[in-house]
Amino acid sequence: MSRHNVNDEYLEGLEKKSIAIIREAKAQFSNPAALWSTGKDSTATLWLCKKAFFGKVPFPIIHIDTGRKFPEIYEFRNRLAREWDFHLIIARNEEAMKKGVSAEKDRFECCTLLKTQALKNLLEKEKFDALILAIRRDEHGIRAKERYYSPRDEDFKWNYEDQPAEMWDLYVKPSEDFSHMRVHPILHWTELNVWQYTKREKLPVNPLYFANNGKRYRSLGCQPCTVPITSNAQTIDEIVKELETSRIPERAGRAQDKEKAYMMQKLRSLGYM
Amino acid sequence: MTFPKINLVVIGHKDHGKSTLIGRLLYDSNAISEQKLQEVEAELKKAGDEGFRFAFLLDTLEEERRGRLTIDIMQTPFRTEKHLYTIIDCPGHREFMKKMFTGASQADAALLVVSAKEGIQDQTKQHAFLVRTLGIQQLIIAVNKMDEANYEEVRFKEICNDLVPILSSLGYRNPPIVPLSALKGENVFKKTRKMPWYRGSSLIETLDRTVRPLAPPIDKPLRACVQDVYEIDGKKIVVCKILTGILEEGEVVNFDPSGQAGLVMKIEMFGKEIEKAGSGDSVGLIVNELREAKRGQVISHPQNRAKVVRSFVSDIVLFSGFQLRNNDVLVIRCGTAENECKVQGILERIDPINLTLDAKSPEVLNSGDVGRILFSPLKPMCVEKYSEFPELGRFVVEGKSGTAAAGIVLETETAEVN
Repeated sequence: MSRHNVNDEYLEGLEKKSIAIIREAKAQFSNPAALWSTGKDSTATLWLCKKAFFGKVPFPIIHIDTGRKFPEIYEFRNRLAREWDFHLIIARNEEAMKKGVSAEKDRFECCTLLKTQALKNLLEKEKFDALILAIRRDEHGIRAKERYYSPRDEDFKWNYEDQPAEMWDLYVKPSEDFSHMRVHPILHWTELNVWQYTKREKLPVNPLYFANNGKRYRSLGCQPCTVPITSNAQTIDEIVKELETSRIPERAGRAQDKEKAYMMQKLRSLGYM
Repeated sequence: MTFPKINLVVIGHKDHGKSTLIGRLLYDSNAISEQKLQEVEAELKKAGDEGFRFAFLLDTLEEERRGRLTIDIMQTPFRTEKHLYTIIDCPGHREFMKKMFTGASQADAALLVVSAKEGIQDQTKQHAFLVRTLGIQQLIIAVNKMDEANYEEVRFKEICNDLVPILSSLGYRNPPIVPLSALKGENVFKKTRKMPWYRGSSLIETLDRTVRPLAPPIDKPLRACVQDVYEIDGKKIVVCKILTGILEEGEVVNFDPSGQAGLVMKIEMFGKEIEKAGSGDSVGLIVNELREAKRGQVISHPQNRAKVVRSFVSDIVLFSGFQLRNNDVLVIRCGTAENECKVQGILERIDPINLTLDAKSPEVLNSGDVGRILFSPLKPMCVEKYSEFPELGRFVVEGKSGTAAAGIVLETETAEVN
């Protein structure tokens, strides 16, 4: 994929739009929350939330913990929650974990139960009416179909065939017809933009992204299902350089994207991120 | 170096080759990853299909690949010598209008695809009319499938002769028209040898030369919308989006329609000290002597106040499932404001396919219709002409389940301001 150099003005333009989208969610919804995986995209989005609200994020930040995350993710999560002073909620599907649900047995079921169901359980308890997520269009074909504001019904289903119209920046309002709204403030950012922004803002980066023994992770999923890439990139600049010449997509190491055709689509239609 | 970004919406009748053309543009400009290409090829082999190769690159959804119909829009970027284009593929099938409007609302320019074989069809005209109604001013035409017309000049000229008067009546004078074949890759990126009679440039060269990114309106008078009011450390911060113009600390501004004035003491941005903000910025304001700021208000300078209107005329497009009658009261969202407005009169109904005036002063507009309406807000409301301040001259109508219609303001009648 051909890349281009961006300057500050370009990144600021991306940021302005995202901040306006986040503020709009706070204005229109009474009980919003944001999802955070500790990955580069959701960390950048969390930072955008801090900026949008002048330092203090006024709603909870949710980490969906499958229990199978890399230890570096847990360390990073706990540290940043302290430093950035936000209200962290950890969502876990304890029941499924006890039953021994695992990717080795059935990946689709594992994602659905440990991630999607954990989120569903939390939403039922807390009644959040909007969820801010850090997905981007260029991550995956299915996500490219998304809107900035995308409603989910009672069953968390994504009705991609009949999405409401999204006209200009007059985003879909809350309605009894849906259970919650998914808000995607960095939908228009590319993978490269996220790194450029991370560097510019000096955001903390999960060490898994940097090379260790000739390998690094380009995308952070759960430990059993995420495969590292061969790389020696140890700084953001080196990662950026690597991305500029690569034609391998970002999520190439994520098993859920591959397995059966359209698995990601099916997962998403059932309420996945 | 920054490449100017252009949002390009691709429109046209079903099966005239929109997706194939986009697929070709992405493929030839190396915007598609190796993995994606392989995926598509594997799928095609399974399906035993060689034909729709490029369109499949975009049709990610299972239903789309099976049905070969583009169901939803997808924003996919590619780069040329001059610009970074984000292409919004628009479904051409009658039922998918909502998705088309969504795509068109994000576009700076429209690329209309017409099949050389079939010629101008219903949605060819309808889409051109709709993008015009939604305010898109830049239009380029691609006459596709020239391979199926033997690359003949006669056929191309026929289509041009049919198209030009239609587009001219919509206000698109002298739009560039490019003959090409998306499937064969002729005249898309490089000038073709198959049409020696054609004196113009390839599609990419034409796009680069004629389409301009919309200029940021710094030179216009100030207009900003209040998005929210936060209370932080005991201070009230008025959070707003600056749409046009520039705002500086120390300036007096008005908040309409309430008519209040206030002094901007400070402009706040997290982590940055700034003294002025311009169009595109989302900032917080600390304003002195302001009785009440609230979401929906429009901020402007006293010497060029935002218009508080008594009535306004607009062109409006109805989405499916929505009907509009004289005297209906509708909820209209414009900027960050939301107001009840009465349908004072349905001035015209326009048939979007034949582009003829269907009826003068009809009683009803039905789903899918385009009409001209006179609205009067039940309470004071700020609205501007789309031609002067686009963000305050466009609106949606809130129906029972979301957006029911969208429109552009043509004329306004100002109310008395206190």
